[in-house]
Amino acid sequence: MISLHAVTKLYNEGRPGEVRAVDNVSLEIERDAVTVFKGPSGSGKTTLLSIIGCMARPSAGRVLIDGRLVSGLPERFLTEERRSTFGFVFQRFNLIRGLSLLENVTLPAAPLGEDPREVEARALARLEALGLAGKAAMPVEYLSGGETQRAAIARALINDAPILIADEPTANLDTELTHRFLDIVGALRDEGRTVIMTSHDPRIWQADHVNAVISMQDGRIVGEYA
Amino acid sequence: MTPAFRRQRALADYTLAALARRRGKNIGLVAIYALVVFVVASALLFSSALRHEADTVLAETPELIVQNLVMGRHDMIEGNAIAALAGIRGVTRAKGRLWGYFYDSVNGANYTLMVPLDPERALAPGEAMIGEGVPRARGMFWDTAPLFLSRQPGDLVRFDVVERLSSESALVSTDLILLNEADFRDFFRLPDGVYTDIAVTVRNPREIETIMSKAGRLLPEARFITRDDISRTYQKLFSWREGIMVALAAAALLAFAIFAAEKASGLSAEEAREIGILKAVGWNMTDVIAMKLWEGALISVGAFLIGTLTGYLHVFAFKAGLFAPILKGWSVIYPDFALTPRFDGVQIAALFLITVLPYTAATLVPVWRVAAADPDQVMR
Repeated sequence: MISLHAVTKLYNEGRPGEVRAVDNVSLEIERDAVTVFKGPSGSGKTTLLSIIGCMARPSAGRVLIDGRLVSGLPERFLTEERRSTFGFVFQRFNLIRGLSLLENVTLPAAPLGEDPREVEARALARLEALGLAGKAAMPVEYLSGGETQRAAIARALINDAPILIADEPTANLDTELTHRFLDIVGALRDEGRTVIMTSHDPRIWQADHVNAVISMQDGRIVGEYA
Repeated sequence: MTPAFRRQRALADYTLAALARRRGKNIGLVAIYALVVFVVASALLFSSALRHEADTVLAETPELIVQNLVMGRHDMIEGNAIAALAGIRGVTRAKGRLWGYFYDSVNGANYTLMVPLDPERALAPGEAMIGEGVPRARGMFWDTAPLFLSRQPGDLVRFDVVERLSSESALVSTDLILLNEADFRDFFRLPDGVYTDIAVTVRNPREIETIMSKAGRLLPEARFITRDDISRTYQKLFSWREGIMVALAAAALLAFAIFAAEKASGLSAEEAREIGILKAVGWNMTDVIAMKLWEGALISVGAFLIGTLTGYLHVFAFKAGLFAPILKGWSVIYPDFALTPRFDGVQIAALFLITVLPYTAATLVPVWRVAAADPDQVMR
């Protein structure tokens, strides 16, 4: 269970142009389920996702993951939590250009000191499962949109993260690729992983695989649907 | 292989891949950096080699030289002064020296003509030993080519060259012509019994002041030049040349400081974003800093090695070709000599300290600033 208690996030705090991106949000997210945050641009979805994924700290409030308080952890421990618990698929996927697909996928494992052959074998298995095995050596800038998205998913899962966080993962994809993505999400849930996403796309939050939809506006939660 | 070693290897692998991605930019960076190190290394090695050259020259200089002064100017000294000096307690040897200058109107060069003091270099009449610059200036391309000197139109004196002097101390011997004493006196139309000056060797160099004091009473008109005086003159001469090198090195270091300051001022948006991605996928601050340390080390140590090696080759294999014309002297005959290769560990360490460490530190400051922030903040 992921629990947020009165979480607020301010940008430019105490300075001109202060922005209240998330405003006093409290909620609970079930494990082994697919949860989608929906809402217009600027509603605070991505910021909330960053706070849940330990990529940003709340200005106020508490975040607990399986009962562990993570919101006040120092950088080192927060990174450890992020590394062991979360895999991220960013809106623009954020693969590193110039590196091969395999190098990008193994990137999260680089600082762990694992046997490189084991990491590579794991990455190749993950790429094969996502239909990308033949492109492992290809620089990522030559991948198509759908391949790039699957590459980002492979990278997110290389350390076997139990929670996948995806920010607008289908924003740049056509209907067919969106459905293929949803199939992958369903498979991940069936493997026992938790998936938390943001999306503008009704095809996502109306999909059968989704267990909960949380609606946001102006940094607040305005609706929750199971 | 331990996990810590595997971690470092993985970070180094990533760094190499990252450097290869920006190949053009990084090659340019290493080239500029290596150029700065090359200039500073050349300056340091050249200065050091010049000082060594001065030491070599001084090692063969007598402890005391006595010259006669007439109206405050150097004039020939009578031979009977030799016996007077040799009689002073503590003097092991006093010997008259014959040397002078000759302007060669053929090529506008000045030669130093001298009678060797060393009996092993005694020459027969009509023979000469010459410095390596003389045949170069005269176009004497084969070893046994005779040397012709003309004091005035219609007058030509021939010498058979029996040896060319080694280039070990060419900085001072390049324009030297050694002659037999009779030939020297005849060439300059010098009477017997007079000398250019007198070289005095003493038993104990610490007694030089006492000996000078006694000699001064015997030869009140004479000027006494000690080895220390000559050393100071050489030091001034070499210091002036070294000064130019220091100025060059300072300019290079200033360029390097601007370069490092630019580096310290911040990361590009692309670099910052990449750090944000690495942090988001699970790298912590020390992983990012270690990776950037690898990057800085590969660039700075690579440039340091390239710059130092090329500087070493420039000074010792290519005779400091880029600096030599302004540094070796003002004579028509520039010495063409190879400096004795020297490796001074302290100098290399100093060079490392003033080039590699500031760059690495300058690289780390902005990286630390970005790596310490939350990934969400960096990627925004």
